[in-house]
Amino acid sequence: MSAMLLKKEKWPEFVEKLAGKNIWAPQAEGDAMRFAPVAEGEAPALDYNNTRVPPKGALFPQTETMFKFQPEGAQVDEPQLEQETVVLGLRPCDARAMAIVEKLFKWDIDDPYYTRRRELTTLVGLACNEPGMNCFCPSVGGGPASTEGLDLLMADLGENYLLEAVTKKGEALLTETKDLLDEAGVDAVKEKEKLVGEAEQKIKRTVDTEGVPEGLPGLWEDPLWQKVSASCLGCGTCTYLCPTCHCFDIQDETEGLAARRCRMWDSCMFDEYTMHTSGHNPRPTRRERTRNRISHKYSYYVDKFDVIACVGCGRCTNLCPVNIDIIETIRQVKEAL
Amino acid sequence: MKMDLEQLRKTAAEVAAREEVKYLVGWKQGTYGYRVAPAFVEDAAGAAELIFSPLCTANLATYLTLAEQLPVPRGGEPDDRKVALMVKGCDSRAVTQLLVEKGIERDEVVVIGCPCPGVVDAALLAEKYPETEEPAEMKWDGENFLLIRGGEETKIARNEILAEKCRLCRYPNPVVSDIMLGEEVETWDLAEDEGVQELENRDVDGRAEYWAEQFDKCVRCYSCRNVCPLCYCQDCILDRLNPTWVNRSVNFSENTAFNIARAFHLAGRCIECGECERVCPANIPLGKLNRKLAREVRDKYDFEPGVDPDAEPFQASFKPDDPEDFIL
Repeated sequence: MSAMLLKKEKWPEFVEKLAGKNIWAPQAEGDAMRFAPVAEGEAPALDYNNTRVPPKGALFPQTETMFKFQPEGAQVDEPQLEQETVVLGLRPCDARAMAIVEKLFKWDIDDPYYTRRRELTTLVGLACNEPGMNCFCPSVGGGPASTEGLDLLMADLGENYLLEAVTKKGEALLTETKDLLDEAGVDAVKEKEKLVGEAEQKIKRTVDTEGVPEGLPGLWEDPLWQKVSASCLGCGTCTYLCPTCHCFDIQDETEGLAARRCRMWDSCMFDEYTMHTSGHNPRPTRRERTRNRISHKYSYYVDKFDVIACVGCGRCTNLCPVNIDIIETIRQVKEAL
Repeated sequence: MKMDLEQLRKTAAEVAAREEVKYLVGWKQGTYGYRVAPAFVEDAAGAAELIFSPLCTANLATYLTLAEQLPVPRGGEPDDRKVALMVKGCDSRAVTQLLVEKGIERDEVVVIGCPCPGVVDAALLAEKYPETEEPAEMKWDGENFLLIRGGEETKIARNEILAEKCRLCRYPNPVVSDIMLGEEVETWDLAEDEGVQELENRDVDGRAEYWAEQFDKCVRCYSCRNVCPLCYCQDCILDRLNPTWVNRSVNFSENTAFNIARAFHLAGRCIECGECERVCPANIPLGKLNRKLAREVRDKYDFEPGVDPDAEPFQASFKPDDPEDFIL
């Protein structure tokens, strides 16, 4: 793995070098941040904690047109994905989430939309020096400088960014921009490691997941679900803002005489999510939906893919309107085991 | 303003212990920082965790209509006991409006009124006094707020962090209640609704541009709908698939259809508790939209929702001299 240094004043030039590619980066939107395509000639600022909406949309758009069709004739127009994309400055937890979700999208069949987008995308991460209040990535297998899912990791060393390639795609990006980069010495790497160590120390909240994946199915009828879900509003905030939530719905939509088949994010916290045509709903209340959300992340996914589908980014906890706190929920699960 | 916690907990314990009461909904300290969580108290002992503080922003009236009705098992009896609810002034207007609309019946609830000197805007507070993992406490202290955490007390001027809805609040004292806690608070000088005025001063294109930018951010999590005590249709048009009134696609057009439908459905019904704006993860200033419509209704029809339990529902009533100047 080669390590290079980029002086911060050369950041705009670095971004400029990537011209022609679709660039996604964190951008301010009022007092919130979100990932969005960067306008040409702009260099996004990377001094941010994390975005409210995760960057998962870069690979798994909230709404994706699969194909368009006309009511008459069997003409189907399938959009072809060709545009190369670079996601700049995503946090290691969000990249890890992409690696976790990819297991599902490449499971029994390769999901063509997700895999094609991933092929075309280079993920450039940014290690965290200042973790957020509800961050708990080390508790679930991540860390402030985890490289899982990333092609390249950047670390903010004050005056420079340290760039470390993780994959061939990352190497290629370093080659493409080599005019702007200097070889990083041992000192720079050591400095990064020191900052990562400090960042880990700043993470205050933890979850203990031992026994949780195996134990959760046994808590099916436990009163804890009633307790946890009592205040739940049944909105989609926790799932839509979760970087590992990947459920989608498929709908045909019409506009005049044109029609399109699209898939869009769906949320297991919505009552219509499991509603049958008959009117029967196997998850009739928020109790069952909450149980499913937690169990899916901390048990079913582990069972299938051997990894917890929660990266400890803290978004669900930060933004739940009624303070349903996943750290506290897992603590209650542990207690009930 | 004196909020006697002991009195609050004692009263709540007495109410929660009543046989006719299923549970009491109040506020309790949250799990971290400035968070306050809804508390569902089923017995007298549970009342010990209740609080009422400047951090109690949430309007709990939404739980009156959000409660899920499961089918009664064969041979079983439906549980039709009352729900007890703690309300601030604004929250009580939601209860009143629900009574007007017959969303609930008066004998289904026990309302515990909490006169409210104004709550804080937690986001603004966190901006000025960064939130930490440790749960913080807050108190009213004359013209100030008192932030208590880590054994330290910080005095913060009221106007520095007062929530926008409170700056514009005309009803700090509950308009409906069975039990009132503490003394009534005096109303205060109202701030101008600068947010709405600023938009009114723009031309149509300027306003369209503003809202286009806002609605574009919407992720359609529907937290605004779900938190709203007055969005309680059992069968919401947004969830309908046959016919599909609003497509599931998340784009400017569908997002606008959703947000406008929501706002219009609340015209003359919204009691300005500000919950929709507080919970929006995309920071869309939904309050401005609702307050603009509320102002139109107030100015044109001299009607204010959630104040008089005997009022006729605004959208379902007609007077021969209603202004019609908006009809083209």
